[in-house]
Amino acid sequence: MTTATEAGVRAPRPLPRSRRLLGAGPSSGSALESTVPTTGMFAAAAVLIAGGWIPVVDGELVLAGMTTAVLAVLVARLIPRPSLTRDGTSVVPLAHLAAVVLLAAGTGSPAVLFLLLGPALALSAAPGRRGVLLATLGTAAALLSPGLLSSAVPTTAALPGALLLGPLAVGLGGLAVNGTVRALGRRAREVQALREEKAALLAQVQTRADELDLATRMLAARAQTMTSVIDAVTEQSIIGTDRDGVIRVWNPGAEKMLGLPRAEVVRKRSIVEFHLPEELRAEAERCGSGPGLAALVHAAQEHGSDVRDWTCVAADGRPRTVSVAVTPRTDDRGAHAGWNFVGTDMTEARATERMKDQFVSLISHELRTPLTSILGYLELVLEDGQPLTEEQRRYLTTVERNADRLLRLVGDLLFTAQVDAGRFTLEPHDVDLAGVVRAAEETARVAATTAGVDLVVDVPEDGLVVPGDAVRLGQACDNLVSNAVKFTPAGGTVTLSLRSAWAAADGTVSAEHRPGTSPVAQLAVSDTGIGIPAGEQGRLFTRFFRASTAQRAAVPGVGLGLAITKAITTAHGGTLDLVSAEGAGTTFALTLPRATA
Amino acid sequence: MAEAVPVRVFVADDEDDIRALVSLAVAKAGCTVTGAVADGSAALATARADLPDLVVLDVSMPGATGLEVCAALRADPATAGVRILLLSAGASPDDVARGLAAGADAYLAKPFGIAGLVRQVQALVARQPA
Repeated sequence: MTTATEAGVRAPRPLPRSRRLLGAGPSSGSALESTVPTTGMFAAAAVLIAGGWIPVVDGELVLAGMTTAVLAVLVARLIPRPSLTRDGTSVVPLAHLAAVVLLAAGTGSPAVLFLLLGPALALSAAPGRRGVLLATLGTAAALLSPGLLSSAVPTTAALPGALLLGPLAVGLGGLAVNGTVRALGRRAREVQALREEKAALLAQVQTRADELDLATRMLAARAQTMTSVIDAVTEQSIIGTDRDGVIRVWNPGAEKMLGLPRAEVVRKRSIVEFHLPEELRAEAERCGSGPGLAALVHAAQEHGSDVRDWTCVAADGRPRTVSVAVTPRTDDRGAHAGWNFVGTDMTEARATERMKDQFVSLISHELRTPLTSILGYLELVLEDGQPLTEEQRRYLTTVERNADRLLRLVGDLLFTAQVDAGRFTLEPHDVDLAGVVRAAEETARVAATTAGVDLVVDVPEDGLVVPGDAVRLGQACDNLVSNAVKFTPAGGTVTLSLRSAWAAADGTVSAEHRPGTSPVAQLAVSDTGIGIPAGEQGRLFTRFFRASTAQRAAVPGVGLGLAITKAITTAHGGTLDLVSAEGAGTTFALTLPRATA
Repeated sequence: MAEAVPVRVFVADDEDDIRALVSLAVAKAGCTVTGAVADGSAALATARADLPDLVVLDVSMPGATGLEVCAALRADPATAGVRILLLSAGASPDDVARGLAAGADAYLAKPFGIAGLVRQVQALVARQPA
């Protein structure tokens, strides 16, 4: 990775050397540097004067001039340059100008006038026009000084012309120098600005390059992570296709499930090739979609996702029952790019479920026949007017009670098998739920009295009608009430409370009618029993599940009642909720849609 | 005054206990049990030979199922008018629907009470033959 400096970004350059040598403008160099040429000229003049090549008319003025020049150089050497400027004009060239005036007066020789060159240029090069004016006036002063300051110097005839031409030449030359320096300064500033702009642009480019590099590496890392995660899934197939169903992603789980390596599938096969054509045709006819891929993704296209069992065909021709979750896939711009298929092989699980259901169904049927004999002959004995001793009658009643219990269990098993197989149907009519609750209370009354549990009923006097299957609703209420009695210790209370209410879309139920609510009937069955641990409440409606509290308390049951009650409630379009605290009791709330008057 | 002709009922169930129980209930209903067999094929042959007023058939039987016997009786003009009561351990709505579709006049799911069976037999006997 290159740095901004390596890419050509440099610090802004100082002013051009020409301007620095002329002593113009602020600079980080010393004043001495810019006075070197002038100092050299003064040194040459001193040599010429000392050697007699330039005559000395007034020694004191010459001495004063040389001293002034030397002091200016010393001052320039010792004092930082910014301190020597005032209003943009350097003090040092002014001192040199004064030295020339003194030397001109002291020698009377035009030769020293060449010494004006250095300070005049330095002053002219300074910002603004004041330096030019000072250089012009200084030149005039140098020309006039021999006559004004020294009586020993004779006035020549050429003096008026020199007085006019000298300052004029210096002034015009100074203006030209000043203009050139200013132009150079502008150019230098423009160049400087361009350099700074270039440096800023280069810095921006570098920043973008760094960000791009970072983003590229992050994307690569993310892609690597996703690939490694997908490749780590070996028990589920993850298949991605384009919009036409051509496979683009094929993970090890898909290899294992469908028996083909990635190289033989990606970009070469369609997802449809792994499905049963007749199943896709049947689905297309059922949902009215197109054939093939359209049938496969129809539901996901409509609802955003779809999970269902499909029959997939592996490379060796084996059919597999696969639960496939289909979702649409989008590209980086959010446009539809294809489909994702995540599959779990359910072949063995579904076979086990079928066997279990068949077993439950078979056993239930086989139990009903002997139960017919038991109950039938008991009925003949007990109700046929035959004389029985009290003891014989009690024994036979016990047999009958347990046969009835066995019959209920068989009924429950058959019912859950029907629910699981989707063969559960209702015979809906208008049902007075208050009457159903009273009947449930009556059924449970004997057991509650025996167990020492107080049974309290609070139902509307004028009834509460719901649309439903009276037999199934009675079964649901019986289950809730008998459960509450079973799980409540002696001295406890079971309360059956039925009310009309209103349910909001989020499921909350209140007694008040608000906009957007629908009429419901709610039965609350509350007990003061052993309660259900919070961690087990989610599984309470699962078939054959029994709470640990029920098992510890040795409460009889097989764990079907609540599963059946939940199925009945759901089939009626209702909900079954519970609130429970271990050791404090449980409340089941059965909520059903209510017919409006 | 002439005595009423007793209603003749034929029973078919592969379970001996059930067969005997049904026969008792039929007798309690005031009917005469003309025969009781444990096989579907025998049931069909006997019904065709005896032409009873009512046939009580178990659905699950060897030889021929109660549904097959029922359908065969209905298909035969000589026995098409006989009243048929099906007994079955299958209690689902689908089971009942299949039994009635086969031509049964009534369907009783096991386990049934004696009183209920007696009432059912009496109701069928009281019905005019088709």
